[in-house]
Amino acid sequence: MQKKDNEELNVVPFKTRIRPYLIVAPALIITIGIMVPFIMAIYYSLTSYSFRLPTYKFIGLKNWINVLTSSEFWHAVWVTVRYAVFSTGIAMLLGLGIAMLLGNLNNRFTKILKVVLVFPLMVAPVIGTIVWQLMLNNSVGIIEKFLNIFGVYNFPWAASTSTAMLTAVMIDVWVNCPFVIILVLAGIQSLPKSPFEAAKIDGGSAWFNFKNLTLPMLKPCLYIALLFRLMASLQEYAIIFALTKGGPGDTLMNLSLTAYNTGFAFQKFGEALPYILFLWLCINIIAKQIVKRQRAAQRLAAGKDEE
Amino acid sequence: MAKIELINVTKKFGKITALEDISLHIKDKEFFVLFGPAGAGKTTILNNIAGIQIPDEGVVKIGDEIVNQTDPANRNVAMVFENYALYPHLSVYDNMASPLRSPKFKKDENYIKEKVQEIAAMMSIDHLLERLPSQLSNGQRQRVALGRALVRTPNVFLMDEPLAHLDAKLRNQMRTELKAMQAKFASTSIYVTHDFMEAMSLGDRIAIINKGKIIQVGTGDEIYYMPHDEFVAQLMGEPEINIIDGKLHKDEETYSVTLTQCNKTYELPKEDNVYEKLAAVSGDSIHAAFRPQDIVYSFEPKKGYVKGTVFSYESIGNKAVLMVKVGSSLLRMIAPNGLVVKLDSDVYIDFHISHIMFFEAETTEYICRYNEAGILALVEELTKEA
Amino acid sequence: MNEKMKKRLSAVLKNGALAIYAVFALFPLFWMILLSFKSDAEMFTTTFIFNPTLSNYEAVLFQSDYFRFFLDSIIVAGGAVLISVLAGVPAAYALARYDFKKKEDIAFQILSFKFAPEILVVLPLFMIYQKIGLYDTYFGLIWVYQLISMPLLIWVVRGYFEDISVEIEHAAQVDGYSWYHIFLRTLLPLIKPGLVSAALLAFIFAWNSFTFPLMLAGTNVEPVTVAALKYLASDTVHYGQMAVAATVSALPAVIFALCIQKHLVRGLSFGAVKG
Repeated sequence: MQKKDNEELNVVPFKTRIRPYLIVAPALIITIGIMVPFIMAIYYSLTSYSFRLPTYKFIGLKNWINVLTSSEFWHAVWVTVRYAVFSTGIAMLLGLGIAMLLGNLNNRFTKILKVVLVFPLMVAPVIGTIVWQLMLNNSVGIIEKFLNIFGVYNFPWAASTSTAMLTAVMIDVWVNCPFVIILVLAGIQSLPKSPFEAAKIDGGSAWFNFKNLTLPMLKPCLYIALLFRLMASLQEYAIIFALTKGGPGDTLMNLSLTAYNTGFAFQKFGEALPYILFLWLCINIIAKQIVKRQRAAQRLAAGKDEE
Repeated sequence: MAKIELINVTKKFGKITALEDISLHIKDKEFFVLFGPAGAGKTTILNNIAGIQIPDEGVVKIGDEIVNQTDPANRNVAMVFENYALYPHLSVYDNMASPLRSPKFKKDENYIKEKVQEIAAMMSIDHLLERLPSQLSNGQRQRVALGRALVRTPNVFLMDEPLAHLDAKLRNQMRTELKAMQAKFASTSIYVTHDFMEAMSLGDRIAIINKGKIIQVGTGDEIYYMPHDEFVAQLMGEPEINIIDGKLHKDEETYSVTLTQCNKTYELPKEDNVYEKLAAVSGDSIHAAFRPQDIVYSFEPKKGYVKGTVFSYESIGNKAVLMVKVGSSLLRMIAPNGLVVKLDSDVYIDFHISHIMFFEAETTEYICRYNEAGILALVEELTKEA
Repeated sequence: MNEKMKKRLSAVLKNGALAIYAVFALFPLFWMILLSFKSDAEMFTTTFIFNPTLSNYEAVLFQSDYFRFFLDSIIVAGGAVLISVLAGVPAAYALARYDFKKKEDIAFQILSFKFAPEILVVLPLFMIYQKIGLYDTYFGLIWVYQLISMPLLIWVVRGYFEDISVEIEHAAQVDGYSWYHIFLRTLLPLIKPGLVSAALLAFIFAWNSFTFPLMLAGTNVEPVTVAALKYLASDTVHYGQMAVAATVSALPAVIFALCIQKHLVRGLSFGAVKG
């Protein structure tokens, strides 16, 4: 009898225990509500649902098999991968370089630059594409006039299959490089000074310092930037759509755009979903890998060997 | 004001046991000190009394009521946190008024104004009432934190190392002021510290805590003169007590002890209590302990003195600590400051055997000392007075 | 002398490299503003020297539906952020302070919404919205926009809560306040700057969203991002007007970005990097 009373006394009261769940509930309901479609997407990808036809039936993996064996699909994968690798890679390298320069110098110019460099990121990617089209336009664009000086006329930019990817990647880098810069700059500014002072005394070269001191300590930051950029560029829709809607031809048809076209333009809904579910699967796997590495890098940078 | 009791309280955080089967009985209006090294569990005890945490096992009582399931707001305790925990966005006045404005203890604004002014004047911060915590010095913040607790009439005052972040001078000053306040308020207080001087001077009784367990509870004098074991003996006292190996010789009539490193045997004066306790010791290994003030030294050779070499001489203001190396032991003793002492020079020391303390060699537990009866009588008288 | 010259040269090169990037980053925006003041007549014939005119602004802002698009953007982005704040801030608090089972699971689940491809959500949602009548409605878009604003708000604000020392809450408890008192009167004032920054950043991202309004809204609700494309698609392209549409659409985001300078890093990295 005594023991039972005592046990009750040492348990956190129910109303306190349930409180966090109640507080989190509204947020969860709202967001879970939106994710219901995701579950449905898996279901519908296994059907022949189409907006044209009044009925649909369960056809199992037929859609998936069709898609995975189509050249269209693999072309889309190739485009997606190229776009993501180029835009993320260039943005990371350029961003790292600019951030290092900004971290190194300190004058009025850099002070102002640190504030205004965020502008491209704040502009909607769609608007950014429009802005660049105004720049690259063969009739009124300033770039055109600039190239004219060198005797280059009517550079096709987004109109040609050979230069469309270049154009799209350039716009993507323009919009998103500031993201990398800001993140890496914050990382640089939070680096402890003492290792560098010690290295100075020990007399290392700038490259040595960079490779062995700066880079490892920046890794957690870089992983975060990589994660966000890669995930976003793998599924980029707005920029490409605003630029050429996927053209010329199918040059820029990545997985997102192909899914959209198949689903809306061709109204083959069930067929569209495998494209995007495949993408989601890849994104998940890659994200988990990056997060794992980021956590490890963070522990290392903080000076702990193991968790 | 009320008495506070912890009965068989255990608190775990994941795999770490912060408190292990702790029982404490704090009397009404008592100024009770929790003393121990960092990480011992002192703050955990306060948190459990305040209601910020609930024990995994055991019971917390305020007055005669079990309060395990009661919110902090309903327990009517006041707490001063180690890092002050002042509300950064409120002025000093609003910080101190905050407890009196809560739904639990609500008072009208006139009363609040009076009370805050009164306490602020007592803490000498009445000229800072409009400032924000960020505009105050550490010492001033500490007074605001204290003031915030004092505006109330709680069951108990809980204070978690309130003087920890103050510089030495301020700390001494505040200690004196706290003592005066304690006498004036006559309230139950539980005070946490790892500074033994605060513990000795402020506490009616002290509980020594280490690694989640209570080692000893008693008045300052009790603990100082009759510590529970070597750990406690070393905690209390500045400079630290000297504990050295010894060999006990129990002859028919007289007992004597050989201080191993000093290579000298001292005859132990006969006292029933001491001889009884020593008789119960098995084997002949023993630890002998002397407080620094119970060792005398001379730079000239003296009869019966043990020879050693000067290891270090540290002048600390109005006195100095002389460390002497004898064999492989280092002994600390007190010397006047301003002496010219050469390191590694010869020095001769002797011990006040009547002030010796004995500890078990194996378990380091306290065995006995001379005149225990006298000390206990003194303690009882002092407690009666209080 | 050699050392000094080397240093100077290096400084010149470094500043030069930054200047090149600055041109790359900012010139397009400058060009956009420039074109917005150039009349159609002078559009093809002049470059930098021309007679600035407000005729494009007149045409876009007063003679077309642009104002309506702008308003739609405000309603949808503002509404989305409002809902995210109301539901998200308490959730951030619970995730920061309370220790409950599944805490990290829930937190990660919310974060994963950010990485879900928008098209993935949109395709099925398109159907569902049509069925339940949320297609082309403000409410429908505001709900979808939660995928953009909620994770950001929760993760960033959670960080700000975690920055506040727990002892302050304990002190308030001991003073006699209940948890919702503490939440409203003590904690919210302390995180206000961080919360405002997170909300503004969420607003910017919601404002910039393109995919959701393109596919889940039609003629009734048209934020500026979707509307801007109209100017591209028309037969006779008025470049000046396009420039105006772009400039005005980008303006709010840029202004807000200047306001939240200090908290930008934290917001952009979802609390992972503390500026």
